[in-house]
Amino acid sequence: MTRFLVRRLLTAVLTLFAVSVLSFLMFFGLPRDPVSGMCPKNCNAERLERVRTELGLRDPLVEQYANYMKGIVTGRDLGSSQGGRCEAPCLGYSYVNSEAVTDTLTRVLPVTLSIVIPAAVLWLVLGVGLGMISALRRGTLLDRLAIGFSLTGASLQLYFVGAVLLLVFTYNLRLTPVPSYTSIFDNPWKWASGLVLAWVALAFLFSAIYARLSRAQMLETLSEDFVRTARAKGLAKPTVYGRHALRAAITPVVTIAGLDVGSALGGTVITETTFGLQGLGRTAIDAVRSGDLPTIMATVLISAVFIVVANIVVDILYAAIDPRVRLR
Amino acid sequence: MRLKRAAAAGGALALLAVMGACSENKGTGGGNDTDRVQSGSIATDPKESMGPAAEVPGATKGGTFRVIRETKISHLDPQRVYSFAGLMNAPLYARFLTTFKDDGSGKVTLVGDLAETPGTDVNKDCKAWEFKIKDGVKFEDGSPITSKEIAYGIARSFDPDLTGGPTYLQEWLADSPQYDAKWDFKKNKASLPPGLTTPDAKTLKFEFAKPHCDLPFAASLPYTAPLKADKDTGVNLDNLPFSSGPYKVTKNTAGVELVLERNENWDPKTDPVRHAYPDKIVWGFGPDAEAGANRVIADNGDDQSALAWNGVPSALIAKVTSDQALKPRSVQGQTPSLWRLTINTSRVTDLSVRQALNYAIDRDGFIKVYGGEATAKAVTTLLPPSTIGYEKYEAYPAGATGDVDKAKQLLAGKTPELVLGVGDDYPEYGTQLKGNLEKAGFKVTLKSIPADAKLDEVGKKSNPWDIYLDQWAADWPSGAAVLPVLFDGRTIKAENNSNTSYVNNDDINKEFDRVLALPAADQAKEWAKLDQRVMKELAPAVPLFVEQGYYLHGSKVGGIYLSSIFGYPALTSAYVKQ
Repeated sequence: MTRFLVRRLLTAVLTLFAVSVLSFLMFFGLPRDPVSGMCPKNCNAERLERVRTELGLRDPLVEQYANYMKGIVTGRDLGSSQGGRCEAPCLGYSYVNSEAVTDTLTRVLPVTLSIVIPAAVLWLVLGVGLGMISALRRGTLLDRLAIGFSLTGASLQLYFVGAVLLLVFTYNLRLTPVPSYTSIFDNPWKWASGLVLAWVALAFLFSAIYARLSRAQMLETLSEDFVRTARAKGLAKPTVYGRHALRAAITPVVTIAGLDVGSALGGTVITETTFGLQGLGRTAIDAVRSGDLPTIMATVLISAVFIVVANIVVDILYAAIDPRVRLR
Repeated sequence: MRLKRAAAAGGALALLAVMGACSENKGTGGGNDTDRVQSGSIATDPKESMGPAAEVPGATKGGTFRVIRETKISHLDPQRVYSFAGLMNAPLYARFLTTFKDDGSGKVTLVGDLAETPGTDVNKDCKAWEFKIKDGVKFEDGSPITSKEIAYGIARSFDPDLTGGPTYLQEWLADSPQYDAKWDFKKNKASLPPGLTTPDAKTLKFEFAKPHCDLPFAASLPYTAPLKADKDTGVNLDNLPFSSGPYKVTKNTAGVELVLERNENWDPKTDPVRHAYPDKIVWGFGPDAEAGANRVIADNGDDQSALAWNGVPSALIAKVTSDQALKPRSVQGQTPSLWRLTINTSRVTDLSVRQALNYAIDRDGFIKVYGGEATAKAVTTLLPPSTIGYEKYEAYPAGATGDVDKAKQLLAGKTPELVLGVGDDYPEYGTQLKGNLEKAGFKVTLKSIPADAKLDEVGKKSNPWDIYLDQWAADWPSGAAVLPVLFDGRTIKAENNSNTSYVNNDDINKEFDRVLALPAADQAKEWAKLDQRVMKELAPAVPLFVEQGYYLHGSKVGGIYLSSIFGYPALTSAYVKQ
């Protein structure tokens, strides 16, 4: 187990290194001059050159990358034009937000986490639950309803579902407040009521996919020999389904869930935009719109971290869920 | 987001006669008079520059006024403010040397804000200006504002770290576009830029190498806001500015919320324009235009006292205009932002082709694609109707939908091939123009330009497009801030051009010089004449329309009107009905 973890962590570090190099190169590859946003109107070539030199953009590329990475580990001095000392983990300075990128991320990450984690719990419980019940009640009205639900959910788009939810529950019925983020530590009720529509929208769409996947996996597992053997040995149905069949059926669901949660944590762009919440996804989109390159790089890196971590968690969960899987 | 550019140039004027522009401010909101003739002046009597501002009928004090906006305001540091949202927000927490008294009922007057008057032209040559600072003006900590703090504010605008703000004063004082190379703020914090002096605590003097008769107007921009040297936190002032206005920033979470609360040290008796009715003003960022408008339409809870800053989006215009209940809560009016189809005269050298383009244009068709008549009003002039001395004319009378036959007649069988550069954010504009112009015999090739690079790309002299869409909104309502900036050929350089028609005509350039040298009161009519002359003799563009502002607010909001200067909702008279 330890060897496996070390190996996976090393791979993760290499992956993140590759992403950091690529996102750093993207800084220079984008069709936008990194210093254009810092220059006033009537900016001329001489002024632009001076700004480039001040920012170290005339240093060799390798040196610039080394400085960037050093900033993440030890912090660095960015000069007066970029707010002075930037403490570790320093991801640069945003001219658009007039603050260190780390400060921006510290503010927006809790928003995305608050959207994604409760929504993921909802969609997994609802999706897997519906899928299992549907499989166990195959051919019944309940099964057909579950299939209908999943087809509907899979066919709709979040911006549509979100807009309908807002129109019905917030603007017309006035049952939910205007979506907003409040820290769970400040006011748990306000936190939940401000995000509930986002959770419902995400859970509805995602659970549909999980319901279909879980149903198919469960049906396949139920037809396997070990299930028949367990039933023949006289084990009760709940024990067979819950302890044996479910564990085997859920492995692919965990794989998909890991990737979904990882990528959602990297930014639920449409959800955040639809509900007007300033999370990581919205921040990334705003950064792209305004050419805020340090923030773009940071959001790409953070998203990569989430995906990599989610994959490691999935690998570990495999072993915990299914004893047939051995970590080597 | 549509490109906006605010700018102005030299010029001189004293009397204003502004046509059209703004909606009324009768205290209840809901102003929708889009064609009113306005008039105004530069105040000379110090009494006009004193407060308190005349009461808005029906206004009540107290409550929290909210503004819903999609994105954060780009800058709060007064020396860096230049976006429209920033320009409308800054007067809430900062005071300037001069300001416009704009009551929303047809009268615009330039008055002293921190200064007793809008300035004195000492030698009547526009080279030496003197401002006397009012007594009783204070910062948020209760300390007095003197000429020293105003001069310090102007001096720090020379700091190249403080990007984003306008640069008129800096360039005029340094007599060079490279003002920060001529005077280094960081090395000279204890002194002042060349030409800026404070003989005593009440006096601020500007001395320029060249005449700058527009100084009273230029001094109305936020970069003349005062700052105490010991409160200067450099780039971090952008997050928490130090207040000299009726409110102070108490909370600023980028992209989420900006909270302004009363500055108890602001004295309304010194302020001719700000009312400061609400106890608190809260900008909430996040919802897009549609969500913001929907919230205000729903009129629930806190949104009853909110304004949807991003306006009524195209998708909701039909719904909003047909709902009579929303009429009292809507604010409509013309803005100074004029759209034109710029003709690159360095490529389209044949005048008859440029004139044919003017005949062929289907303004109605374009406005429909743009968003309909609620969002745009057709114009045939280069100056927007909000300009001082504006006169309506049609150099190429072609009706609302164009005169294809007249265009063909001018082309005399030719089928000119034109490359139309169009921003990739609104490709439908290109499609409409292509369809329109090809009916008159032009062969149009569409070329997409990345939206965020469009301004820079068309500003390059060697750009590869024959025609492209441009827009211009001046920083103050003078022809001097439009025509010489856009059409004086002597300003053309390799990059960053405002003269994107690349027109350079000696006779017209001389006319610019002649008008700029005229006594201030005589300029307005001359700009209107020159507008016609440029169109008739050079046809460097096809004027299209001026943007119409269309905003909604909640049922408890009053006092909102569109600024005559910038065309956006003015917040200084807003109140919450109690």
